[in-house]
Amino acid sequence: MATEIKLPRLGQGMESGTIVKWLKSEGDKVEKGEPLYELDTDKVTQEVEADASGVLLRIAVAEGEVPVGRTIAVIGEQGEEVAEEAKAEDRPEEEGSPGPAREAERERGRAASTNGSQTESAPAERSLDTGAARLKASPLARRIARERGIDLASISGTGPEGRVVAEDVERAAAAPASAAAPAPAAAGEVEARPLTSIRRTIARRLTQAWTIPVFQLTISVDMTRTNELVTKLRAANPDVRITVSDVLAKLSAAALMKHRDVNVQYTEEAILVFPSANIGIAVAAPQGLVVPVISACERRTIPEIAIARVDVVERARAAKLQAADMEGGTFTISNLGMYGVEQFIAVLNPPQAAILAVGTTEDRIVAVDGAPAVRPMLTLTLTCDHRAVDGATGAEFLATLKASLEEPGLAL
Amino acid sequence: MPELSYREAVRDALTQAMRRDDDVFVMGEDIAEMGGSMGVTQGMLAEFGPERIRNTPISEIALAGAAVGAAMQGMRPVAEIMYEDFLTIATEQIVNQAAKHRYMSGGQLTVPVVFRTQGGAGWSPGAQHAQQLESWFVHIPGLKVVFASTPEDVRGLLWSSIYDDNPVVFFEHRTLYGLKEEVPEEIEPIPLGRARVHREGEDVTVIATGRLVHEALAAAAEAEKEGVSVEVVDPRTLQPLDENALVSSVKKTNRCVVAHEAVVRGGFGAEVAAVIQYQAFDWLDAPIERVGARFCPMPFAPVMEEWVVPHANDVLEAVYRTVGRGN
Repeated sequence: MATEIKLPRLGQGMESGTIVKWLKSEGDKVEKGEPLYELDTDKVTQEVEADASGVLLRIAVAEGEVPVGRTIAVIGEQGEEVAEEAKAEDRPEEEGSPGPAREAERERGRAASTNGSQTESAPAERSLDTGAARLKASPLARRIARERGIDLASISGTGPEGRVVAEDVERAAAAPASAAAPAPAAAGEVEARPLTSIRRTIARRLTQAWTIPVFQLTISVDMTRTNELVTKLRAANPDVRITVSDVLAKLSAAALMKHRDVNVQYTEEAILVFPSANIGIAVAAPQGLVVPVISACERRTIPEIAIARVDVVERARAAKLQAADMEGGTFTISNLGMYGVEQFIAVLNPPQAAILAVGTTEDRIVAVDGAPAVRPMLTLTLTCDHRAVDGATGAEFLATLKASLEEPGLAL
Repeated sequence: MPELSYREAVRDALTQAMRRDDDVFVMGEDIAEMGGSMGVTQGMLAEFGPERIRNTPISEIALAGAAVGAAMQGMRPVAEIMYEDFLTIATEQIVNQAAKHRYMSGGQLTVPVVFRTQGGAGWSPGAQHAQQLESWFVHIPGLKVVFASTPEDVRGLLWSSIYDDNPVVFFEHRTLYGLKEEVPEEIEPIPLGRARVHREGEDVTVIATGRLVHEALAAAAEAEKEGVSVEVVDPRTLQPLDENALVSSVKKTNRCVVAHEAVVRGGFGAEVAAVIQYQAFDWLDAPIERVGARFCPMPFAPVMEEWVVPHANDVLEAVYRTVGRGN
């Protein structure tokens, strides 16, 4: 029996995804769990695994944006006939089951707010009876879909056993029709690159961040002791690529645990104070900026953080992050030191209330005990959401971080 | 406002009805000097004497039959069946006699009797003293069935039951007798057939009876912390049933859990689930969940009893399943 492969919902709020390319061709044998296609969502580009074994009989959507729940391919037995099915869901069908009298009786019971505009030709879920599993939808979801003329088959259910529940229909009703990719501009030498989902997300989130009242605090840190520590850690852990970033993540986490008022998120109702320091690491991936999260850094050792960082950064660069890799962050570190940037101001990563911008560590002449001395100096700039964090609070956090970078033992 | 325990609230309704009305009297096993095995009628013998606080032989069928006869003769007897498990012995009189005479006499007779009884687990009374048999009586046309969960409710509902011209099987829960709350100075009769919304909510309606009302309220408080808003409704009267209240609540929340201590199979919740699915079918966003005891005789061992009967966490898990957060 053929299985329709539908575009999955990979995270909350995902409405659609863009199929980048298929890793299998029509006619290929496919094992359940094998990577089937590459999907670009507003959070990540990732490989999606086949959820059935068999032969890839048909690719319904070769590439482009597809709403969640749309059939994109069919997997089945060799030689099985599928052309009809893959299209079936687009074909509206008269709903035949309820007798007219019964339907009228039901309608009387319904809320008057439907305005009396019944579309009897509601796209029917019955069109799926060829091979595919029966579509599961709650009675309420069916009613709403019927009233608004929404095709249930186009909706991916998030209820138990994939059941379409009312919320899924509401969400589908609220989502704008899937936008076609803008046509490339033909004029002159300007190249119009279609926005990728991730680029749209970056634009939306950073624009949103711009509306938040923020302030910045800058501090310089003598990195002598931290550099020594990194050298020793590398010697002790030859298999792990430990960097200053890992020490920064660890010491930031320790400072956040000491200054919990920075490890927060602002909401309209309350300031949410988080029990763990889940540190986001801004990574420049080929497809754009992504921020994978290393959870509970206060409980991890520096080598453990390094292992986790190497893992997520490598996967970010290979566009293999999962949506879950980027959820739950409470604080972000953005490091442009490797480009020689001395200092910079990072834009907040909402809903987090603070982000740390890390510049390069360079030898500078500083006054030590009244005499000029050359020291490896680092400039840190903290951006804070002023709705949740006050200046002194941010400053205390930064002072603690500076003190522990200059003497890492203080973080113990 | 005076504070009364559930036990005192039952006694208060009996006492006040007996003071007001000579037709009301109480009969049962060990209810006089001993004051009843649960202490409900304690002190009443001294006030009303043995004519009106009548000890009976240890024969439920005899005492139920006597009560039915007295009711047909114009009295308003309240017969106490010590444990609802013993209703099995009185069932002939309740089901075949009390429930039928008004109908079979073409209305020439009424049978205004109340069969008060109690039961329930939670104190290790064993398989023959812990059952919840309310649904058996809901099945019988001609009977009204009440199951009260709070002091105020038990007082107001017992009052209405005594003055109802039909036979009422009145269930109390053993573990609620000590429950205290402030009640109005004067008894406020609660009409039979009116549900009570204990707590308003948006996401899930829990329809609970007896002890499970309190478990449901505890579950609702827990769910609220997780952002799930639970409405708790107690039908209070199982027959007649306030269908409108239950259905309109579910039409608001779109999800429903039914919860009682009785076993799930054939329990009262099955009837409620049927009513809801029929009248609110197009409003349901999840299957109706049923919470009740596991299908086995009540174990004596406390840990086993605890495992068999439902608690707040069982209600909570059912609530989460309806909103798709379950496992």
